[in-house]
Amino acid sequence: MMRTALLLLASALAAGAADQATIEKGQKEEQRTCLPCHSLRIIHTNRLSRAGWSKELDKMAGWGTKYTDRDALLEYLVATYGDDKPVTPPEMSADGRTKQ
Amino acid sequence: MQSNRRQVFAALLAAAAARKVKGADTPAVPGKRPMILHNDRPEDLETPVKYFDSWVTPIDAFFVRQHLPRPAAVDPAAYRLNLTGLVSKPLQVSLADLQNLPQHTLPATLECTGNGRAFYTPKLPGIQWGRGAVGNAEWSGPRLSDVLKLAGVDPAARFLEIDGADTGVMQTPDFVRSMPMEKALHPATLLALKMNGQSPDIHGFPARLIVPGWDGTSWVKWVVRLAPVAKESGGFFMNPGYRYPKYHLPPGTAARPVELEVIEGMPVKSTLTAPEDGSKAVLGPIVIRGFAWAGENAVERVEVSIDGGARWRNAQLSAQKLPFAWRLFTLNWTPQEPGYYTVMSRATDTAGRVQPIVPPWNPSGYLWNGIDRVGVTVEKA
Ligand code: HEC
Repeated sequence: MMRTALLLLASALAAGAADQATIEKGQKEEQRTCLPCHSLRIIHTNRLSRAGWSKELDKMAGWGTKYTDRDALLEYLVATYGDDKPVTPPEMSADGRTKQ
Repeated sequence: MQSNRRQVFAALLAAAAARKVKGADTPAVPGKRPMILHNDRPEDLETPVKYFDSWVTPIDAFFVRQHLPRPAAVDPAAYRLNLTGLVSKPLQVSLADLQNLPQHTLPATLECTGNGRAFYTPKLPGIQWGRGAVGNAEWSGPRLSDVLKLAGVDPAARFLEIDGADTGVMQTPDFVRSMPMEKALHPATLLALKMNGQSPDIHGFPARLIVPGWDGTSWVKWVVRLAPVAKESGGFFMNPGYRYPKYHLPPGTAARPVELEVIEGMPVKSTLTAPEDGSKAVLGPIVIRGFAWAGENAVERVEVSIDGGARWRNAQLSAQKLPFAWRLFTLNWTPQEPGYYTVMSRATDTAGRVQPIVPPWNPSGYLWNGIDRVGVTVEKA
């Protein structure tokens, strides 16, 4: 029993059970680091595992993204756009044709 | 507990984000009807299936895919195309020079390499395209071979390197592609100055490469440099970008980099445009519609099933049977009973290739061409 409980606790820690403050910090980090090259839609339409998000952060770092709090950003992405989260259909753009 | 609170908080965040987005007006993209907005900066727009009601897709409904920020508006008088690399005489060509070469028009289907990515499991990073990152247009301009002749290609050149005017932010790699000289010199390969007789605008004004039958990534926009070279170009968008595993992989596993190949011709595929997935219909005659295309081949046949693939019937195809361009198909269907129907479409091309039930999963989610499938609920009037 004790062993199981410890294992569970260990896996919860390993899974990085993030608290509210960390997630908020992560969202701020996203605002700070992710906007120079593209808007956030291209990020938020993805649903990725922790490993998947971590790989994306490495890819973006390779292209010049500088993190001050990579861990919080990763927690926020996994908690909000993890592969266990439902897919939300993208929005429609507004009509861009010039009206005569 | 921790974990629970985290979930609640995440849900709150998502709800707040949704409210914020709903409250604000979504951006409009100049010249475009309302499109499925995968990204707004740069623009990545998908065509909703209900717009696909003609053989030629109008520009205002045509999908848009951009990797890098869109280049600043080009002044047609100042535009120059650089011909460099393995050529007899390096040249700078103006738009007028290109317009003075013999002009050709070719109908061809352009499809984003990642069209249908959203249908793969496990999920893959990238734009979650559904059915609409594809369109059929009439492209006009000089043959690429005639353009290259102006500078004279050295016989030692085996590939053509192509660069667009778009550049990345910070260390983002530049969008440079290359293709074998044989495809570059193919008479159907054009440098388009017009799309459906109009300026291509967001689709690559003033000059866009047309590489019929190949995936969209080869169709470089805003072309500013052509360079015959001895070897295939490197760069992110050639490697590791836009590669496909030589041997099929168990879903969710990584490929060995040496076993990834450049994508060339596209597979055979069909897409249902009516009825729409998840829609309702009144008991009575229903027209099943869609389109089918096959890379460098033409479409031979499209079959439709209304019973989940148990029985198949040949659909009617539009008359023009061309390589590179899609064919529209229709099938008139009068369900006898109400209920939920699974409608499917399956194309076969002139080389005998058939759409699979399960397209091979691959680490970038490219080339989805599974038998298409939509659900429709038929109700008594
Ligand atoms: C230096 C520029 C740059 C910054 C900063 C940047 N990105 Fe990107 N990102 C790109 C480019 C370029 C693409 C599109 C790549 C393509 O089209 O192939 C992209 C695409 C993506 C995608 C789509 C999947 C993919 O890999 O193509 C995701 C997800 C993403 N970025 C996440 C992020 C996150 C999260 C941040 C902030 C930590 C971030 N990006 C910051 C340049 C950047």
